[in-house]
Amino acid sequence: MIWALAYLPVLAGLAIWSIGGTRVRLAIMAVAVAATTLTMALIAGGQARRFAWSETLVLQAGLPPLAQAVAILIPAILVAIIFYAAAHEDERGLPRLLGLMLVFTGGMELIVIAADLVTLLIGWEIVGACSWALIGHKWRQQAPGLSANFAFVLTRAGDLGLFLAVMATFAGTGDIGYDSLGTLEGWPLALAAFGLLLAAISKAGQLPFAPWLFRAMDGPTSVSALLHSATMVAAGAYILARLQPQLSAAPGFGAAAMVLGLATAILGGWAALRQTHAKKLLAGSTSAQMGLMIATVGAGYPGIAVLHLIVHAATKAALFCAAGMAHRVSGSFDLRRMGLGRTMPATALLVAIGALSLAAAPPLSGGWSKEEMVKALEHAGPFWAAAIILAGGLSAAYATRFAVSAFGFGFGDDRKARALPGELAGLALLSGATLVLSALWWPPVHEAAARWIGADLPNGSRLGLIASLSSVALGILAGVRVARSDSAAPAQDWLGLPILYEHGVIRPFHAFAHNAAQVDDRVIDLIPRGVASLTTGLSGRLARADDDTIDGLAPGAADRAKGGSIQAWQGAVGIAVRASTALAALGASTGERISDLMPSGGGRIAGMAGADLRRLQTGFAHHYYTILMVGFGLAVGMLILGG
Amino acid sequence: MLTLAVLAPLLASLLLAMVPLGERTSRWTAVSASALALVALIAVWFNGGDGFRAVAEVPWIPSLGIAWRVGVDGMSLALALMSALLFVAATAWPMQLHSARAYYAWMAFLAGVSIGLFVTLDLIVFYVFFDLSLVGMYFLIGRWGHGEAQHAALKFFVYTLAGSLLILIGLIVLALNMPQLTFDMRAIIDSPPLAAAGVGPGLVFLAFVIGFGIKTPVFPVHTWLPPAHVNAPGPASAILAGVLLKMGTYGLIRIPLQMMPETFARWALPLAILGVVSILWGSIVAFAQDNLKRRIAYTSVNHMGYTVLGIAVAGSALGTETARQLALTGAVLEMIAHGLITGALFLIAGAVWQRTEDYHLPNFGGLAGPAPRLTGAATLAAFASLGLPGLAGFVSELHIFLGAFGVYPWLAAIGLLGILITAALFLRMLRQMFFGDLPRERAGFTDLDRTETALLAGMLILVLLIGIWPTWLLSLIDAAALLPAIGTGG
Repeated sequence: MIWALAYLPVLAGLAIWSIGGTRVRLAIMAVAVAATTLTMALIAGGQARRFAWSETLVLQAGLPPLAQAVAILIPAILVAIIFYAAAHEDERGLPRLLGLMLVFTGGMELIVIAADLVTLLIGWEIVGACSWALIGHKWRQQAPGLSANFAFVLTRAGDLGLFLAVMATFAGTGDIGYDSLGTLEGWPLALAAFGLLLAAISKAGQLPFAPWLFRAMDGPTSVSALLHSATMVAAGAYILARLQPQLSAAPGFGAAAMVLGLATAILGGWAALRQTHAKKLLAGSTSAQMGLMIATVGAGYPGIAVLHLIVHAATKAALFCAAGMAHRVSGSFDLRRMGLGRTMPATALLVAIGALSLAAAPPLSGGWSKEEMVKALEHAGPFWAAAIILAGGLSAAYATRFAVSAFGFGFGDDRKARALPGELAGLALLSGATLVLSALWWPPVHEAAARWIGADLPNGSRLGLIASLSSVALGILAGVRVARSDSAAPAQDWLGLPILYEHGVIRPFHAFAHNAAQVDDRVIDLIPRGVASLTTGLSGRLARADDDTIDGLAPGAADRAKGGSIQAWQGAVGIAVRASTALAALGASTGERISDLMPSGGGRIAGMAGADLRRLQTGFAHHYYTILMVGFGLAVGMLILGG
Repeated sequence: MLTLAVLAPLLASLLLAMVPLGERTSRWTAVSASALALVALIAVWFNGGDGFRAVAEVPWIPSLGIAWRVGVDGMSLALALMSALLFVAATAWPMQLHSARAYYAWMAFLAGVSIGLFVTLDLIVFYVFFDLSLVGMYFLIGRWGHGEAQHAALKFFVYTLAGSLLILIGLIVLALNMPQLTFDMRAIIDSPPLAAAGVGPGLVFLAFVIGFGIKTPVFPVHTWLPPAHVNAPGPASAILAGVLLKMGTYGLIRIPLQMMPETFARWALPLAILGVVSILWGSIVAFAQDNLKRRIAYTSVNHMGYTVLGIAVAGSALGTETARQLALTGAVLEMIAHGLITGALFLIAGAVWQRTEDYHLPNFGGLAGPAPRLTGAATLAAFASLGLPGLAGFVSELHIFLGAFGVYPWLAAIGLLGILITAALFLRMLRQMFFGDLPRERAGFTDLDRTETALLAGMLILVLLIGIWPTWLLSLIDAAALLPAIGTGG
């Protein structure tokens, strides 16, 4: 049952891709699969299974409550996104899109159920490959293909950390299970912990890997909605939360997670606020929110991070869906040209719920989980608390800015396009989930939830709460102000980080590889050529020596012979001369012609053979044969020495 | 049974050389001969057994200890099976050919000697097959290649032949140092000669490493490979990469690792470094290639680097036995996986050449539109080659790295960069070939036909099966039995 959580969506997704069909049929099939997965996630809690994958490696799956919560979340979000995608996306390629989304979900479920590092690695990379295919979904255009490759390579660079973690764990314990990870000590533990941290921050779009999230915006909107909510980026935050008990013993692990997470939260929030591209604003926000979760894990509260992950998933998926609808209606992703409040009032209302939750305004669910995170970081120290309060202000600002720019009342109701029923259904489900989750403010609910997934609820100070809420209020005001003064030129993507990659990594690597290829052709290939010319030289010298010494014997011998029998020699020549004179006398014109034919015909045949030989050997043959000679010489020497 | 697997293709080759058959009949004769060999090998597999099995021996030159000896252990059986399968696919691959009968005769000949090399237990017979495989490939590239085929074929032939001479000398030294002159592999493996430290055994080891290294090929003796691939016809490339390169690494395991383990252990670190250099160099140079076939060819250097790293770790006598065993498992599996995956990639390249007579990647684009099946097969093969989990390449690379980390952690960590660069280069290739705009001159591009689809599907399904559930193949390979017991060799 537990493995089926992973392979059922994969197989069903491939089947749906190959079957195809109309929008409605595809939606029904895909929702059925997602619902089945959801049911399985609900009833598979606490199960554990093993699969003998190779002689020494056993793949393990398990579903403790923390994992089960995420395993339920993924198909639940997927259901809403399928409704949305089936209505919103181009009909061309829709079977592939929905099919791959299901495959992708299966990979993500494998990450969630994994109870050993190799299973985790398998799911981790499958998710990466699916995201490549999904980002590059519109393959006829140039940009998505480039962006898909960029995203895959950048996230795979982080995956190397996971490879290192697997290797260190196996070298340290001879096993790959999460349990063994907990028994590590010393440098293998440090390597495993920081390797996993590297893998997690690359998937979660943290600094310095954040730019791939912007490039991923070249994918369809429904893909962004899925990637940025419950899957892919969520995998990074999830795995750190899941393995926090095992990894927290590594020296510096918590501090590193907090530094990276909060730095990304603040810089990402700033990058998001200064964006005019609706989806990129949300992408920056995703980095920032994942940063908050990772910092919370670093502070020692993985359960709180997972609760925020769940709340954030519903919120962020809703906002992405709304951004896609705004794009369809307004014709671009430019926030300054939207202002769709009058055109799409229902959508605007649903967006307001999501945006306020993302801004962490009470009494919405995002507000509760964010305040819990503030309390968690207060336990780490006042400096960390101040940082998260600042980051919270920024999230309030960009969330407000998104909602006001995109769905404010800036433009009149003169646009014809309207929200499609499927789009609205998806959006309503997600915003509805945000509302339902707001029940977490009520103590019996959040206590029950915390008890179920085993989360510690931190205690916070009143001062912290007041500072945090004022920061949110200020952020909302700032967001409104930014939305109203949108004439400012758009900021560079991610504070210039992509340019740094382009000029600091990608181009130098291209140049380096190009030079390496030249070296390979011109220098490394000199080995056989050098051996060849060396031996040519050697054999030339040998040949000269041969001429000088050995041949030298022959003329001497001839001279001696000549001197000895000069009489007989003259006699023989005389006979030959006389015979040829007789032959010449005999040779009339016909005879001459017959005898001429022989050399010229032979010459013609020889010419043909020579041309063939030239064609076959192109003049290099002697080089290679001389290599052979040297090889043979070496070999004989070795025989003498070795024997 | 094994003799049948060797003789069937050789007899078919003789038949094709003598009897004037038509093109279709020639093709089917060669295909069925390889298929018959495959069936014979599968029969051996199902009979099971441990150690060397299906052994048969016919005396040949008793005074020199040379005989026709055949028998397989898990590694050679797995390699022979993979080779036979690849020969079936490569021979059946549809081609427009001049002098088709001769082409299929050489294909069948090459199938016979390749399978023979893996199943023989006699060092001299091994050497003879090693050289005969060069002859077969020389003619396939030289006569049916394109571009500078003659030059490339000759370079390949002479370069590898020079290496094989070193191997011959090494073999003779090994045999002479046995208590009683013999070329029986089993006898030499059971009581390895030349265990003492010193110049002599070191030189013999060096001879083997250079000889097999050229064939594998490892950096820096790999430069014969790209021209040979670029100018060879697609199926011949598939055989060259899938089967002939494996002879180098197979020889490396069978002879230096198993027959001189003490010397191997002393030289394991330099060999491992050579493997890592090949991993990185192969992938970096492949990244810069604009020629489809050159790009795939250089990834062979990269993948064979993983194999060499695994073999070196296995013979290092350091770390735990589990780590060394994992590395060797990975190395042997990498040979099988690389054979299937790169074989498929070269067949795909052959399909592209048949349709366009072009390998220049910037001249392509958007082929996913007219050729979805080709795109699917190429994508799957490329992801398998870059080591995506769920496909065969990942299993072998994971095993190699897990083992290598237990012995040479730094080398393993540096080698990991190879999987990042291969990802970049294969994704770049996929984008250049299949996505974006379709150039006007590619408008009439046709998708894979039914035969091509079936052959590629067969190979790629195996890649998928090994990737998801590798146990069946790993238990066949049984790397534990290959691992030399250091210190008992005398």
